[in-house]
Amino acid sequence: MKILFIDNDGGGFADYVEAAQGTTVENFFNEKMPGRKPEDYLIRVNRLPVPKDNVLRDGDRVTITPLKIEGAKS
Amino acid sequence: MDEKNKLIKIANRVQDALARLQEKRWLELLNCLTSLTSEFQQTASQARKIGLSLTHSWLTAAQECSSSIGRSLGDLQYWIQRAKQLIEAPNIEVPKLSFLVEELKQLQQEFGSVDFDKAENTISVVTEPITLDDVYLGPFKIQLKIDKLSDLYASCPYYCLALDPHPAATSEDVTHPHVSNERPCEGDGYAAIRAALEQGRLCDFFTLARSILNTYSPDSPYVRLDEWDGQACYECGYVTDGENSYFCSFCDQTFCEECSTCCRSCDETVCNSCSQLCAYCEESTCPNCIRECPKCKRLYCSSCLEEDLCPKCKEELENENEQHANQNTRTDKDGSPEQSKTTQPEIQHSS
Repeated sequence: MKILFIDNDGGGFADYVEAAQGTTVENFFNEKMPGRKPEDYLIRVNRLPVPKDNVLRDGDRVTITPLKIEGAKS
Repeated sequence: MDEKNKLIKIANRVQDALARLQEKRWLELLNCLTSLTSEFQQTASQARKIGLSLTHSWLTAAQECSSSIGRSLGDLQYWIQRAKQLIEAPNIEVPKLSFLVEELKQLQQEFGSVDFDKAENTISVVTEPITLDDVYLGPFKIQLKIDKLSDLYASCPYYCLALDPHPAATSEDVTHPHVSNERPCEGDGYAAIRAALEQGRLCDFFTLARSILNTYSPDSPYVRLDEWDGQACYECGYVTDGENSYFCSFCDQTFCEECSTCCRSCDETVCNSCSQLCAYCEESTCPNCIRECPKCKRLYCSSCLEEDLCPKCKEELENENEQHANQNTRTDKDGSPEQSKTTQPEIQHSS
């Protein structure tokens, strides 16, 4: 199935990706963000917060945004 | 219905600004191609002149035309490269109105309330009070100026306004380690913020900006948090930042530039109270390098002492020694004369 994945970590990737049927939000996060902790991110499915065991459906929009981003001085 | 109409109007403004942003990309391409065409024409004109010069064997003229073409080729290279970049850049569609309305609704859910200022043409949200490393910075208003969206690639279209400012002691303009003059420095968030704005993902943009405000990066702040309240000089109380504070290792206190100095002998930083002036060269000297002349008991730096004596005492001693030496020589002559072995040859008397 196709999922619209918006990764706001780094360059801001936004495109459709393939995901297996029955993939949960947790599985999807672990696959796309290996080594990262979900609690460090704002995760939204179709603009809403969802539990981690929520099963994704074809066409869902998943947004992952880091809660901490290092700024700098110019 | 009123709320929905309001959202639609705001979404419409955002959509217009993003459409102008896309238009600017094509305008830049047009400008690029115009410059490219102009350079080609100049190159062609110079080429014709070379032909004419060769017809008349005007070799110097041909050389000058060739130099001019050389410069044009450099400019052509630049315009070709730029045009290629603009053409090959991924095409970003202007988001639909319905998409932008959904973004604004999500923004309201994420931040609790969103302020739309029709006159200023801004969209603003307010963060929770921010505290980083036990330093209270207060809440911030993240204000997006819709008009400036069309200049996204040239300037920053949003501000971070401190609503309960607790700026750095050394700079009132720095209200957050990564905000100066209400402008944030996005650091790692730069690319993601630009992508979110050009695609119309308003909620993602505000969330990203909030994430930057909630993070302290000690490697590159405008002012470090451990220096946020500044460093007061132990002597005069003047508050300064770390770079302009000097630590005296002799009394273990920190001083400002006016109340500290540098030992001229060893370059060690020393406060004015711990340092002493050399009685001879009058330079500041630290306790490790100051010495007492055993003769006059005054203090001198180690550089001014010769054989542990100050220059004046040394000279006096040398004079004394010389006088003693002269006196000894006169005594010998008056007492038991001694012939000097270096002098007169022995006079031989003939019998």
